[in-house]
Amino acid sequence: MTTHDIYLLSPEISMAGLAILLILVDLVVSRKSILTIVAVLGLAVPLALSIVLWFDLTDQAATQMKADFGTEIVTFVVDKFSLFFKFLLVGATALVILASSEYVSKFKNFHGEFFALILFATSGMMLLASTVELITIYVSLELTALPIAALAAFMRDSRSSEAGLKFLILSAISSAVLLYGMVIIYGFTGTTVLADIATQLGGLLDGESAFGGNALLFGVILVIAGFGFKISSVPFQMWAPDVYEGSPTPVTAFLSVASKAAGFAVILRVFYIAFSAEILSVDWSAVFAVLAAVSMTFGNLVAIRQNNIKRMLGYSTIAHAGYLMVGLAAVASRTPDADAIIGPSGVLFYLSGYAITNLAAFSAVIAISNRINSDLIDSFAGMARRAPFLAGVLGFSMISLIGVPPTVGFMSKIYIFGAAVDTNLEWLAVTGMVNSVISAYYYLRVVKVMYLREPIDDAPVGSALPMKLAVMVTMAGTAFFGIYPTPLINLARSAVDVLVS
Amino acid sequence: MLDDYFRQYALLAIFAAFAVAVPTGMLLMSWMLSIMKIRPQKPSLIKQAIYECGFETLSGRWSQFNFRFYAFALIFVVFDVEVVFLFPWAASFGVMSATFGAFVLLEMVVFVGILVVGWLYAWRKGALEWS
Amino acid sequence: MIELAHLQILSAGLFAIGTYGVLARRSAVLILMSIELMLNAVNINLVGYAAFVDFDEATRSFGQVLVIFVITIAAAELALAIAIILRLYRNRSTVNVDEIDLMKW
Repeated sequence: MTTHDIYLLSPEISMAGLAILLILVDLVVSRKSILTIVAVLGLAVPLALSIVLWFDLTDQAATQMKADFGTEIVTFVVDKFSLFFKFLLVGATALVILASSEYVSKFKNFHGEFFALILFATSGMMLLASTVELITIYVSLELTALPIAALAAFMRDSRSSEAGLKFLILSAISSAVLLYGMVIIYGFTGTTVLADIATQLGGLLDGESAFGGNALLFGVILVIAGFGFKISSVPFQMWAPDVYEGSPTPVTAFLSVASKAAGFAVILRVFYIAFSAEILSVDWSAVFAVLAAVSMTFGNLVAIRQNNIKRMLGYSTIAHAGYLMVGLAAVASRTPDADAIIGPSGVLFYLSGYAITNLAAFSAVIAISNRINSDLIDSFAGMARRAPFLAGVLGFSMISLIGVPPTVGFMSKIYIFGAAVDTNLEWLAVTGMVNSVISAYYYLRVVKVMYLREPIDDAPVGSALPMKLAVMVTMAGTAFFGIYPTPLINLARSAVDVLVS
Repeated sequence: MLDDYFRQYALLAIFAAFAVAVPTGMLLMSWMLSIMKIRPQKPSLIKQAIYECGFETLSGRWSQFNFRFYAFALIFVVFDVEVVFLFPWAASFGVMSATFGAFVLLEMVVFVGILVVGWLYAWRKGALEWS
Repeated sequence: MIELAHLQILSAGLFAIGTYGVLARRSAVLILMSIELMLNAVNINLVGYAAFVDFDEATRSFGQVLVIFVITIAAAELALAIAIILRLYRNRSTVNVDEIDLMKW
């Protein structure tokens, strides 16, 4: 452990430090509104440190800064890939905290704990984006899962407790499965460092059986199952709708954006570094292709029948996990002359687009449903007249979720389906497009209810300033990157360079 | 080599045989004595009552515990298990501090500091009070 | 002699029993105990690999380090789960997962 290692870890340390600070401040102050301000302003520290690290990386013209904590075993790296996710995660957390500023009044005296748990989970996710070693991956996965389970059960009513219990039990099962897979890989290769696993595997694969050996087949499938839970892909999706419906709405937003981003970060890292051998990657890309097709179809078809907007967005998130896995399936080894980074950069681009859009949708939903005290889609009737701005944002983000121009949802879908076509997965691209059309039905239903139905009540629905800020930022992002996505695409492409080199 | 190995199990087997033989032997002897009419058999209510340290029994076996026990147990378990990290740290302190110096001590100070924050939190929130 | 295969069979058996318990049990507390069984199966496997496979010193310790982390994280998980179950019991007066169905399981 040297000072340089601590410098590399500083965004995560400052994030966890901020969470502890919030708990301590909460013990001494009586005016709880201070806590929101402390939390949002405090997030500037990890953000600033990440920016410093980014420029340091560019200055050194290096691809990675490695932390080995004196053991010569590299467990933690700082590269553009991890920093991309850190920016995304800090941004999403800031927006979630802003959007929950009004909602937290429901929690009586537990504001500090709420924010602290969100920040602890975020620090775990940031670690997840940076770590390159299986033990650290497991610990950071649990560091994200446990606070989220506590957050899901935060409301003290039976629905919320039920959501928390379901999340916790299913997450514990999935991490046990994941661990079993990791242990088999550890026993097979004798190491838990991803890069070393790749070197060891070089000599062990027989090239005939699937995944180059039965032990590895078993291990990799168990790892896919474990990670599949975190990103809520079919067949490990059963928790998502229930937890989304029962949790406090800001937690749902956090879960759908940040948790999913961190899950994809670690999947990309594990599969592109440890299992990058060509005979392996063809096999796991086939698994992801099938999971992608099934996830998007299942998510979209079931979402049609939902009446609760949070539950509907829960199924929609399963569908979007499917679209995202198209990027995982599009590996370069399928076609010799394809662009090597198009798949992973598609995942990153789609993730950031989805994050912005979904946060816009959730901020609007939080703002509206907090005032009208209902999550049912029918109770949003005539919202265009009661809250024209919020209804506009919600409608716009629904259009972006379908993938209609001029939104970032459209751009990211074009990019990720293009990646599928480039790697000979035309059938997957077609499935994705058919699914987008299906999804239009239930997304547009929300718009229809808001704009064409008569309002139940004529009282206008207002919103507080931080709420408006969150809604405006996400709305602007959705529109801006929908018209001019080049900077985001370039950022995503430069971030994934380190995975394929 | 293999004989040595199984001899250890033989010891265990002898121990197990004794453990089974003593109580069964006692019960068997008692039964034999009562058949031979040496042991008197005069059951009464007091003799057949549940033995609870010589006191009169208060309730059935399935009694409910006070809810607060759980809260205390939760706090105890979490802090108790964290101690598992102290052992490897203490065992490797000499070797590690030779290379990393004060960082090794600092690490544990930070770790215990985080635990103290948790304890402070539990204390301030009244989780340690029985009321 | 005890060999790696024995430990692996024990571990796989425990894991299977745990999985069965998770799927078949109806009480939330028993499901938690089954999850503990699954995690401990993993631990046995880890200790087995670390003890019997011919790894070098540095990688041998990985398995043992992971065991410590698994134990502590399992404890934290359990504490949180029990807290949530107690809350649920106060709300609904049951810990049977078949009856915890406000939203479809």
